[in-house]
Amino acid sequence: MTAILVKAIADLRRRRLQAAVIFVATLLAAGTGTMALTLLSQTRDPYQTAFAAQQGAHLQVAYDSRSDPQTIAATPQLLGATASGGPYPVTSLQFQAGSRKFGLDTIGRDDPGGPVEQIRITAGHWPSSNDEIALTRSFSELNNIGVGQKIKVTSVAQEPVLTVTAEVVDIDEGSADLSSQHAWVPSSAISGLSAKNSSYYLMTYRFATDPSSAQLQADMDRLRSALPPGSVVGSVNYILIRNVFNITNQIVTSVLIAFGIFALAATAAIVANLVTGIVISAYREIGIMKAVGFTPRQVVAVFELQILIPAGAACLVGIPAGTLASQPLLANSSHALGLAYTPSFSFALDLVTLAGALLIVALAALLPAFRAGLLKPVVVIANASAPRGRSGRGLRRFAAQMRLPRPVVLGFGDAFARPARAILTLLAILIGVATVTVALGLPRSFAAINNSETNAGNVDVVVRKSPALSDADALRIINSQPETARIVAETGENFTVPGIGDPVNARVFRGDSSRLGYMVVAGRWFSGPGEVLAPKALLQDAKLKIGDHFVASAHGNAVPLVVVGEIYDINNLGHSLFMDWATLVAVEPDVTPDAYLITLTPGTAAGAYVQRVAAAQPDLLDVEPNNIGIIGPVKIIDTVLLIIAAVIALIGVGGIFNTLLLNTRERVRDTATLKAVGMSPRQVMVMVAASAGLIALVGGIIAVPAGVGLHRYLLDLVSSSAGNDTPQAAYGVFAPLELLAIPIVGVLVAIAAALIPGRWAASTNVVEVLHAE
Amino acid sequence: MTELVRLTDVTKVYQGGITGALNGVSLSIEQGEFTAVMGPSGSGKSTLLNLIAGLDRPTSGDVVVGGTNLGGLGEAGLARFRRDHVGFVFQFFHLLPNLTALENVLIPAQLKGRENAEARGRTLLERLGMVDVADRYPARLSGGQQQRVAIARALINNPTLLLADEPTGALDTHSGDQVMALLAQLHRDGQTILLVTHDAKLATRQASRVVSVVDGKIVDDARLETMERAASDVVRVRGEETSR
Repeated sequence: MTAILVKAIADLRRRRLQAAVIFVATLLAAGTGTMALTLLSQTRDPYQTAFAAQQGAHLQVAYDSRSDPQTIAATPQLLGATASGGPYPVTSLQFQAGSRKFGLDTIGRDDPGGPVEQIRITAGHWPSSNDEIALTRSFSELNNIGVGQKIKVTSVAQEPVLTVTAEVVDIDEGSADLSSQHAWVPSSAISGLSAKNSSYYLMTYRFATDPSSAQLQADMDRLRSALPPGSVVGSVNYILIRNVFNITNQIVTSVLIAFGIFALAATAAIVANLVTGIVISAYREIGIMKAVGFTPRQVVAVFELQILIPAGAACLVGIPAGTLASQPLLANSSHALGLAYTPSFSFALDLVTLAGALLIVALAALLPAFRAGLLKPVVVIANASAPRGRSGRGLRRFAAQMRLPRPVVLGFGDAFARPARAILTLLAILIGVATVTVALGLPRSFAAINNSETNAGNVDVVVRKSPALSDADALRIINSQPETARIVAETGENFTVPGIGDPVNARVFRGDSSRLGYMVVAGRWFSGPGEVLAPKALLQDAKLKIGDHFVASAHGNAVPLVVVGEIYDINNLGHSLFMDWATLVAVEPDVTPDAYLITLTPGTAAGAYVQRVAAAQPDLLDVEPNNIGIIGPVKIIDTVLLIIAAVIALIGVGGIFNTLLLNTRERVRDTATLKAVGMSPRQVMVMVAASAGLIALVGGIIAVPAGVGLHRYLLDLVSSSAGNDTPQAAYGVFAPLELLAIPIVGVLVAIAAALIPGRWAASTNVVEVLHAE
Repeated sequence: MTELVRLTDVTKVYQGGITGALNGVSLSIEQGEFTAVMGPSGSGKSTLLNLIAGLDRPTSGDVVVGGTNLGGLGEAGLARFRRDHVGFVFQFFHLLPNLTALENVLIPAQLKGRENAEARGRTLLERLGMVDVADRYPARLSGGQQQRVAIARALINNPTLLLADEPTGALDTHSGDQVMALLAQLHRDGQTILLVTHDAKLATRQASRVVSVVDGKIVDDARLETMERAASDVVRVRGEETSR
């Protein structure tokens, strides 16, 4: 054992550069893998913990304000709930904080505790008088409205002023950047804050065990059949809220796992390449080792140890680093849930990662090491060097026919002279370039989707109206501005859709809504009453397809609908409907818009327009430039992708650097001969760079379509997580020239990576090398 | 006769060496000469050849070849010098294993930018009796054949000076004789040749001048009139050297 260790360590000292390549590649792969596994194992726990601690509601149901509170109070028995909260009176509150205006569903609730949906106060105290209000911490932080701040309610004519007395965490709603939010006031305050048609009752239910989606849907069906039509106006369950909470980490985890596997594969390719190279360069030495008594197994052990020592050291650094890097995302989850952040990791998982990484590296090294162990000492000592292939002649001839300079021709021939090495290098490059392609494409696809969701480029200004202001007055103000080019009015309404447990929120438009820029995945935009579009999740869950007719209901009124298109919409994870104003008016004649989506005439300054409209009705209109900013979770995903792409690209560069190093060392005699017959140092460098460039070019040409395919796959995965099919426009984010440029940039990076081995080859001492023969 | 090579007080000390591989050597070689540098192993004869080829640099002294002081050239300049003025034949041939015989021959011309040298390469191979194996790889050639390919490669750019370092050292007697006959023929055609060997008989058989090097110094420089006399002179030198 001592002899094996001594020999392995001595070889490591001699091959410091190779050891460094293995260290860096394994470090990056182990770090990425650990980060993915830590997130995967720890993400689900914080929500579950908080849900249990705060007695989260499995089901929340909104009842029409005309419902009998006593009937609603009896529904827990109907559903078999073990605990319940409410009925709480709720009103849609619009308020102004500073110069900004907001809308929140405000609940009348006197006690933050109780058997269901306990509200955790993180700052201040629970509202105890009618001029106090509690906001979610998520909303407070997103909008910088803290405890002590005054807000003016604009949805009622009296315009009362409330003081924020608490920031709270509610386990039963998503974060403010992804979901609408609740606020709380004493129940006695609700009547003074309610505008006409803006109130409802809220009941919360908790069951003995976590119910499944099917059970929750059955509960909703039971409620509807037991209560008068139109009683149930909305509902939300814990599964949706949990998914909304976890979606960012789920997507990040999926991306990390996919690329963690890539990183490990690239590292394995580098290791296999490296050990093959070492075996080739140490041919005579292996013969001597065996001649002095090393058994085949001991020879294998020497080579394995040379790899495992730097790989093990890399894991010792990479695994803790990966665990640390996952903590900000976990801390973010804990913070959103109102949990105290404690660094969370699994020592057992880290050990599994360590064992897995070392196993992969050891397996990658095994085949070439095994080959070394089987070499016959007499043959290798006599031959001194490994047999050389003749591959590359075709490439050389091709390059010669292209009249390329001779060093380039020779470099091309060298590139694939050892096919196995070339293939392993190609694999590392392929993974690197494909990842970069994905990292380039996904943020753009996300941006395209974001533009669709936010109507970017189609809507310049959004005007939200207080219920206290009539539709006609609001339109008069907007239409009085000469810069107003187009107005699309919008409101929301919950519909009951057959086969869907929770009422589905419909976005209802008046005006030319086809020009808002929503992405239609299939079919067409609605063109008249009764026509609707829906995302994939709703169509799938309601077992609908384009062309299908179905009857939904709003406030107990049947509404016949026909599906004319599939739309991309991530709200409520793909449970939404898009329809024309006339569809809703048929059942709710006095419906008025909540908001006006305004397109300005070209060249209009939105800022000045906003100021003028807002000044016309400062209290009753909330006028803002259309917010087209990308939401926080997408920014996190974009950032993680960028980092991962950099890591894997670095591993790819390491792969090509490693191959060039092996090639130049193995061909040192040939290089010396070439220098002896007149090859200049510059020509030697050109030769090495040409070899690198060709491998990178081939790798890049294969990798770009692979990257585009992977981009498509991941985009589908993300869309699917949010309950959608990917629209065609989100795929086509690469310009043809760009796809051509990616392999060219890969070639340039490879040539840069060739500089060190190239210089090393160029400075070959001819006399020393040829004399050593 | 025109002077082609001039070494003036050349010393070469390798790193870690206590004494020099060459110690104050001065030598002049005329154009058209066939000079053999002879000496035992470690005498400095290969070092001398490497300095003249521009493969190595002297610790002190000047090496001038064809009017060019090699000390004034950088690495790229030396490479160009080798490509344009020198042909080098090695003991172990040093053919590039992944190129065919013809491709090996053409390499120096192609490095010089002469992409249309194939006709000359084939002519050279024909002249050396190797045209039939032009498309074979070195591994499929005998030692003698490989060395003839190496000679063709050395001649492809019409070098003013052909350097041969123990060209028969790795060959059997028959192949060695063939190679030496070939060098003699080249000399008769006007090629300046500098041959390094430790074999006195080989040195005197074809060379017109024998320079004997011992311990990094030139101990004898004999211009030979006839083969017989030359051989005895050289044997005398080697005898003196051995008796010391």
